[in-house]
Amino acid sequence: MNIVRILFSYIIFPGFIFSAIVGLFLTWIDRKVTARIHWRVGPPWFQPYADFLKLLLKDTIVPEGSSKTLFLLAPLLGIISMSILAVMFFSMNFNPTSTFVGDLIVIVYLLALPPIGIILGGSASKNVLAGVGASREMTQYFAYELPFIIAIATIILKAGGSIKFGEIVLAQQASGPFLYSISGVITAVVILLSIQAKLSYVPFDSPEAEQEIMAGPYIEYSGVALAMYKLARAMMLFLLPLFLISLLWGGFADWWAIPKFLLIIVLIILIKNTNPRLRIDQALKFFWIGLGILSIIGLVFAYYGL
Amino acid sequence: MGNAKLWGLKKSPWVFHVAAASCNNCDIEILDLLTPRWDIERFGIVLVGSPRHADALLVTGVLNRKNLPRVLRVYEQTPKPCLVIGIGTCTCHTHMFERSYNVVGPYNKYLPVDVYIPGCPPKPEAMIMGVVKALKRL
Amino acid sequence: MKKEYSKEILEEITKKFPEVTVKIHGPRRTYLRAPREKVYDFAKFLFEKKGFRLSIATGIDTRDGMEIIYHFTHDEAGTYYNIKTVIPKDDLKIKSLATFLPAANWIEREIHELLGVDFIGHPNLVPLLTAETWPADLCPLRRDYQDEHKELKIKKKAWEEP
Repeated sequence: MNIVRILFSYIIFPGFIFSAIVGLFLTWIDRKVTARIHWRVGPPWFQPYADFLKLLLKDTIVPEGSSKTLFLLAPLLGIISMSILAVMFFSMNFNPTSTFVGDLIVIVYLLALPPIGIILGGSASKNVLAGVGASREMTQYFAYELPFIIAIATIILKAGGSIKFGEIVLAQQASGPFLYSISGVITAVVILLSIQAKLSYVPFDSPEAEQEIMAGPYIEYSGVALAMYKLARAMMLFLLPLFLISLLWGGFADWWAIPKFLLIIVLIILIKNTNPRLRIDQALKFFWIGLGILSIIGLVFAYYGL
Repeated sequence: MGNAKLWGLKKSPWVFHVAAASCNNCDIEILDLLTPRWDIERFGIVLVGSPRHADALLVTGVLNRKNLPRVLRVYEQTPKPCLVIGIGTCTCHTHMFERSYNVVGPYNKYLPVDVYIPGCPPKPEAMIMGVVKALKRL
Repeated sequence: MKKEYSKEILEEITKKFPEVTVKIHGPRRTYLRAPREKVYDFAKFLFEKKGFRLSIATGIDTRDGMEIIYHFTHDEAGTYYNIKTVIPKDDLKIKSLATFLPAANWIEREIHELLGVDFIGHPNLVPLLTAETWPADLCPLRRDYQDEHKELKIKKKAWEEP
């Protein structure tokens, strides 16, 4: 019985299939709002599902001379880690006592797996442009991980020094969300921009710059493997704002979570549509110098209880 | 299963643009299609950056001795099933360049073209009609 | 301003190079005819001392010989200065301008492969735009070129044959 429940929660709800369906729906919202901002009519509601279905039924071509197993298994890293994260987020928000010591660190490590999947896949295709895209992805990962970790340290400090995800949610339910304070606002800005970079959205999408390196690390992928990459990105679009809400805005165990979630999605789309693309060295300077100093200021504010 | 495959291909054809020695007039008109006035994303058509992601190849321009092996290589790299749409009169019958020393003949000698869209350059409305007809014929 | 400047330049040119004949075609275009041996020094003087810029070079097969025109421009005077030379057809050689003008590098390669003019001193005189299977001594833009291309083989796989 337990095995069936575990499998059900990992695969169907809220694991793989539920977050896949909701994630693909959110990518449709993204494309429709972007089209509206450009004064166009966007695609119909079933567009991402048609894309996914079409990609599943095309040939998968493996380039000659590339390492075949790595090429075909690298897209699965993102999906596996996202399914595990979905189960963790949902169970720790609806049942905050089921946490264990150090699970925030497990979450941070699981969030590092999708970029590693992209880097491995890009390096395994025997293509110079894919190698350039993979190296840019690595550089960008180093860039946004630093302020992200300092922001999480700030939140641990505000929650009284415990590294349990469930206790952070409980502390917010007891004494008000962490967002309603100066250090909370600073931390929210830092984490929001890190989410934008993790999803490879403009202004941080130089790993996948279409005008420069022709689809970057994904250039040799086709068919099922490409569908897995797109699905991992869609699931990240669903799960990362949930992460932000649980850390800073009081958890999503009540109905007020839906407007908060939509607000964060709208903010991501607006930042995506109003900015040009940053070069990779400009992105590095922005994250390390600009956001790094900002997150340290947030940490200092949190230490003094503000 | 065949029906699901065709439904997916009809509702979201991803497009890759191959310019073989064109004068760039047709290329500008293709980029016109993505602007808000003749929005082509409502059919699900997206301009992708790699031929391995593409379902339809938009070819423009005349085939040359020099770019014939390259265009054939791009066609081989596209995963099948794929459409080939020839845009402009240069793809139909080599137009005014017939006697040139470099031209190797019309497209259907080397590639299986599905739809021709004549015009020099074709109007965007004509291109949309051509693409929709190609999708309906699938 | 522009007219006075171009007048100054023309006076200086005619004083220094008496073999060059000047013909003013319009307010912004001047034809300068020079014999084949003087083109190199003339172009070097214009480029280095006077700040002229090479825009393009053209070639045409005429009855008197192969005529090559170098189109120079001057930004302050706002005019085109075209230097015309005629090369006899049995001795198609001219000194290359690419030794001091980087802009003349590719256009001289194209004139070489399409008209057959040999540029002496060019650093890299290989065909630029024709296909790899095209024979190097077949010049398509000459007047006596027949439609010989129909017998030449078309290559379909560029990476399989050596």
